[in-house]
Amino acid sequence: MMQMAEFMQDYWVGLSATSQDIARLVALLLPAMLVGIAATRRYRPFGMIGAMIWRFRWTNALFVALIAVSVGLGVGLIAQERGLRQGSAHAAAKFDLIVSAPGSEIEMLLAAVFLQPTDAPLIEGETYDRIAHHDNVVLAAPLAYGDSYRAAPVIGTTAGFVEHLSGTLAQGRPFSAHGEAVIGARVDLKLGDSFVPAHGHGDGADHDAHAGHGYTVVGRMARSGSPWDRAILVPVEAVWEVHGLASGHAPGHEEDIGPPFDPAYFPGTPAVLVRATALWANYALHSEFTTERTMAFFPGAVLARLHSLLGDVRQAMSVMAMLTQLLVTAGVLTGLVIVTRLYARRLALMRALGAPARFVFAVVWGYAAILIGIGSAIGVTIGFAATRIISAIVTARTDIDVHASLDWPEFHLVAGFVSLTLLLALLPAFAALRRPVIADLRT
Amino acid sequence: MGLPLAISDLQVHGDDRRPILRIEALEIPSGCRLGIRGPSGAGKSTLLMALAGLAPASSGTIFWGDTDLSQMSEAERARFRRRHVGMIFQDFLLFEELTALANASLAAAYADADRRKQIREGAAAMLDHLGLGAHASRSVASFSGGERQRVAIARALAADPPVLLADEPTASLDRASADRLIDDLAALAAQKGTTLVVVSHDPAMYARMDRVVGIVDGRLVE
Repeated sequence: MMQMAEFMQDYWVGLSATSQDIARLVALLLPAMLVGIAATRRYRPFGMIGAMIWRFRWTNALFVALIAVSVGLGVGLIAQERGLRQGSAHAAAKFDLIVSAPGSEIEMLLAAVFLQPTDAPLIEGETYDRIAHHDNVVLAAPLAYGDSYRAAPVIGTTAGFVEHLSGTLAQGRPFSAHGEAVIGARVDLKLGDSFVPAHGHGDGADHDAHAGHGYTVVGRMARSGSPWDRAILVPVEAVWEVHGLASGHAPGHEEDIGPPFDPAYFPGTPAVLVRATALWANYALHSEFTTERTMAFFPGAVLARLHSLLGDVRQAMSVMAMLTQLLVTAGVLTGLVIVTRLYARRLALMRALGAPARFVFAVVWGYAAILIGIGSAIGVTIGFAATRIISAIVTARTDIDVHASLDWPEFHLVAGFVSLTLLLALLPAFAALRRPVIADLRT
Repeated sequence: MGLPLAISDLQVHGDDRRPILRIEALEIPSGCRLGIRGPSGAGKSTLLMALAGLAPASSGTIFWGDTDLSQMSEAERARFRRRHVGMIFQDFLLFEELTALANASLAAAYADADRRKQIREGAAAMLDHLGLGAHASRSVASFSGGERQRVAIARALAADPPVLLADEPTASLDRASADRLIDDLAALAAQKGTTLVVVSHDPAMYARMDRVVGIVDGRLVE
């Protein structure tokens, strides 16, 4: 017995993920399929079922709509949560390690990766220098924010970060002078356009604060599916300069851009993106720069915590969706019992003509199965469509690419729902058999 | 060919355990056309339901040929009806959403595979015989009362049963339709040798029967 269990476990583990998902789907649907086969074997009940459905078509359409909405809710919830999780993870994929001044990791994640405006303390030049010259660091890009142009945040950084973020530019070249800018893929500017940034963001932005400090667009990044598609990247020295700060370089080198920076003239930066020489080195750097004066964090890990929280919310919402489905199911089954009474004379006729009890059972159960099946199929479509619409809205508002897709969990949910409701549909089918034939014939 | 009927000491009780039918003896030969008359509530339809095995006998026997319905389970009685009995009701009891042919061949939906074709062909032939062949693929919702009852006859005889039970088959029809139906029913029963039992208030129906018995207060009177 133990050997058999071990064999089965080994066999299961040896299956591909797709095979396991298919097996789960079949296992979930199996009870309903077995009942269906047992009920309808050797019979042709579908003509009767079609007649019954057509007879009370609007009532039946209402049942189907209720089931569809209930299933759509569950499917949409799962698909949307996954889309958000994958989209946000994708947006943070280029950000291995962030070092900032101590504070809230989540706030810094939102600021540095998702470009949400925030006020943050700065990292000093010496600290930046230690990061930039660390043996295990390949790239240490300051990220200085606070300005904007229209709705686009203007981020001061280095050309190395532009290359890290975009790889080959879609158009133009990286910035190489103070007054040059590289724009994200969805920024409404063209190469050669000039603009003057505002100080701050949104309604509170001061549009005249940086008058005379304009930028010219020299490059456009490839699309990344992240908020950086709407960002404008400029030399960090230019950001410091327009704010009346030192340029990051020693006197005589004010026009230089990019590292190395002189710690004595480094005005500070809210965050530094760090790319390590190897994966393991990230952990060493994380440990080394988690100090009283600096905070190092992995955006991926912070996101995972947020996703975990989101997962809890999803679970709570899933329970609510399941409860809704159960309530709808109970309502539909009650309705089916009532509607079955409307069909009582027809069912009695069949029994009077000699139809086997199993045939009458198959007609009632099949009737419920078709309503549930159609409702569930429409529900999947509704859930998917709703997810697509919501994903498009979320993408438009956050610039995080949220892709709507149907995956195995949704199909498993629907299969479980279908199987459970079809098993519950046995009740009205059995109830129909217990009705008095003669009395029903005379109604 | 039809089946002979032999009833002995039959009692049927209602839901309140009150006896609603008591028949000491009734025998009819195979192929006989039996009319049952009597006032409303006398037990005519109950007798018909008992002959179909739908109203179980509290005591006594109902033999169709060698088969005693009173000793059968519900499933066995259903099987007996399926194979040996055709039924016609006062208000047709058709599926309005289905065609005449689909209604007439209703039994094919639950018949054994080897009988399905026979039932469908029998239904088509019967509709043809009753003058509805050209309308077989039309929904019965558009049919007149007389046409509907002829579809019901086709349904009852599609599987060529030896016994045909009809409960007030002309009650919902106008005179002309009723007369045609009586002609059809009597002629078909005679032609096939079917044992026909008809509950009716219609004197025109009695005139076409081989024998007519009455039921009063649940008891048989000649």
